[in-house]
Amino acid sequence: MEKISRYLLVFIAILTLAIILPKLYWMAFEKPVRKPFILYSCINDDFMIHRISEKTWEDTKGNQFTREKYEKKLPLMFEKQLITSGSMPDSIKGIALDMRTISKEKSFFRLKANEIDAPAPGLYPLFESQSGRAKIELPEDFFRITWRIDFIDAATNKVLEEKSQLFSAALFQKGFSFPAKKISGISTPRKSVDEGYFIVDSKDRLFHLKMIKGNPYVKQIDIPEGLKFSHISCVDFKNKDFYAYLFSDKNEIYILTQDDYQLIKWPVEGFDASNRDLKIFGDLFNYTVIIEAEDHTKAIALNSDYQVVKTYTETWKLKEEQPEGKIFTSLFPAQVSMTSDNSKFIRFYFSLSEGFKWIFLNLLLMAFHFIWLYRRKVKLKNHLADMGIVAVSGIFGFIAVHFFPNKFFD
Amino acid sequence: MWKSVVYKEWLKIRWFLIGYTLLGILGIGYLFLTVKHGFAFSGGKNVWNSILFMGYQFFSPLKYVPLVGGLTIAIAQYFPETVNKRIKLTFHLPLGENKALLMMHAFGAISLLLSFLVFFGMFAGFSLLYFPVQMVTDSIISIFPWFLAGFAAYFLVALIVLEPEWKFRFYYFVVGGFFLTIYLNSPVTGAYSPANSGLFVLTAFLSIALLFSAYRFRKGEM
Repeated sequence: MEKISRYLLVFIAILTLAIILPKLYWMAFEKPVRKPFILYSCINDDFMIHRISEKTWEDTKGNQFTREKYEKKLPLMFEKQLITSGSMPDSIKGIALDMRTISKEKSFFRLKANEIDAPAPGLYPLFESQSGRAKIELPEDFFRITWRIDFIDAATNKVLEEKSQLFSAALFQKGFSFPAKKISGISTPRKSVDEGYFIVDSKDRLFHLKMIKGNPYVKQIDIPEGLKFSHISCVDFKNKDFYAYLFSDKNEIYILTQDDYQLIKWPVEGFDASNRDLKIFGDLFNYTVIIEAEDHTKAIALNSDYQVVKTYTETWKLKEEQPEGKIFTSLFPAQVSMTSDNSKFIRFYFSLSEGFKWIFLNLLLMAFHFIWLYRRKVKLKNHLADMGIVAVSGIFGFIAVHFFPNKFFD
Repeated sequence: MWKSVVYKEWLKIRWFLIGYTLLGILGIGYLFLTVKHGFAFSGGKNVWNSILFMGYQFFSPLKYVPLVGGLTIAIAQYFPETVNKRIKLTFHLPLGENKALLMMHAFGAISLLLSFLVFFGMFAGFSLLYFPVQMVTDSIISIFPWFLAGFAAYFLVALIVLEPEWKFRFYYFVVGGFFLTIYLNSPVTGAYSPANSGLFVLTAFLSIALLFSAYRFRKGEM
C-alpha cells in the first residue's frame, strides 16, 4: 500500500512538473512572433505588408514605402487619414468614391480557434426583430432548445408556456428535428438590426428563427446534401450582403446571403478551425482573407464576386525550431498544459517534444541516478521501476523520484 | 476500537469543522444575497445576460472556500499528531498501522465531504431559484474542481505534516502547491467539463498519499 502511494505521488509529481517546468521555461525564454499586417490594395493589385515591430511598409515584391505612401495604396482602409491629408482619390477603377459608400462596404470579421472550441451558453435572448423602436432591447426571457424550445422568464425563472408552445409548434411544422446541435446569432442588443438565430437541428439541417411582432418566423434553408456546419458566425455588416460566415466540418468557408438565403462557398483553402485564426477585411472591391497559423500567415484576396484574385503566404520558424525551442526539446520530453490557445476548455493538453533529442538527457539522468544508487549500495533490483521512470519521463521523473524517495523500500 | 478513533478525531477537529461550516454557510448566504441584490437593482435579464455573454461569474467568491476548508481540517487533525510525535500512539493500536491511519484519514475526509455537501446543496438549491438548469450545471462544472482542490489540499497537508524530514516537507510543499494550481485556473464558465473526471481521479490518487510519509515516519531514523 505504501509502495502504491509512493508511485501515485511520483506520478502526480511528474504531471505537475510537466505542467510547471515547461511553462516557466517559456515564460523566461519565449520570444514573441510579430505577425505581419497584410491587406490587399485595390490601387496596385498587390498585398501591402505592414511589419509593425520593424516599422516598415512594403509590398510582396519587397518594394518599401513610407507610411504615407502605404496608406495611399489602401485608400479604403485609411480613408479618414487620406481625407485629412487631402490625398483621397475621387475615384478608383472608374467608380466615384464617397464616404457613405466606402463606410457601407467596409467590414471586419475575426474568428479565433478558441471561440469555436468553447462552452456554449445554452440560453439565448430572442429579440423582437420589428419592434418599431430605434434601439434593440434585451428581452425579459431567454430560450433554450432541448426536446422543444423553452422560453424562460429571467425575473421569475419560470418557463413561459404559451410562448414556448407557439415557437415549438412553428419549428415543428417546418420540420425542425429537436434538439439543436448549434445555435448562432448575435446575442447582444448592440447591433443595427436583429436577424434572430441560425440553428442547426439534430439532423444537421439549417434553420433561421426570429421573432416578428411576437410571432415566430422559421425558415429551413436549402443546403447541399451531407454538408455539416461546425461553426456559424453571424455578422452585422452595414451593406447587409449576408447574414453569416459559416464553417463546414471540412473547413470550408461559406456565406449566407441576406433575404434570398443563397449559400455561397468561398474558394478559400488553408483554413483549419481547430488551430487557425481568421480575419476577413471587406471593402468596396475586395475581401482580404487572412489565415493565421502558428508558423505562417496566408492572405487571399477575393473580388466582389468572391473569386480569388491573388494569394500570398509568409512563413516563419515554429517556436520549436528557434534556438530556445531546440534547447526546450533537448530538456523536456513532453509538455502538459491545462489551457490551450486553440480552446477555451480546460483539458490535459499533452504534447510530445519534436524529435528525440531529449533521450540523451533522459539517459544521462538515468545513469546519474544509477551511480547515485550504486554509491549508496542499495539493492538495484528494488529500483528498476524508478530507473524506468527516469528513462521515460526524463527530468520530470528524475526530480519526482528524488522528491519522493524510494530508500525505505530497500 | 474504530468508535474511539473516530471520537479522538472528532475531538480534534470539531470546533474547526463546525466553525468552518458555519462560516461557509454564511459565505454562501452572502453570495446569494448579492445575486438577489443584482436581480432587484439590475433586473433578472441583465444578470442572466452578464453571466451568459459577458463572463460574469457570480460564484467566483467561492473559489478558495473549499481550499481553506481542506487546509483547516488537515492542520487541525494532523498538526497535534506531530507535537511530541503523538501519532506514534496511533501506530501502537491493535488495528494495523495503515488501517488506523486510513480510519483517521477517512474520518477527516468524510467530515470535509459533509461540510462540502452542505455548501454544494445550498449552492445548487439557491442557484435553481434564480437560474435555469443549464446555467446551474455550467456553474457546478466550474466550482467542482474547487471542491476537489479542497480535498487535495487536505490530503497534501496530511502528507506534508506527517513527513519527518523538513527537507522533504519542503519538496512536497513545492509539488503540492503547484499541483493545486491545476484546479484553480480561471477560465470561462463551464470550461472544466473535459478535465473534471481526470481531476477527480488524481484527487482519489492523493487520498492515500499520507501512507507514504507515515511509513517514513514509522520507519524513520529521523
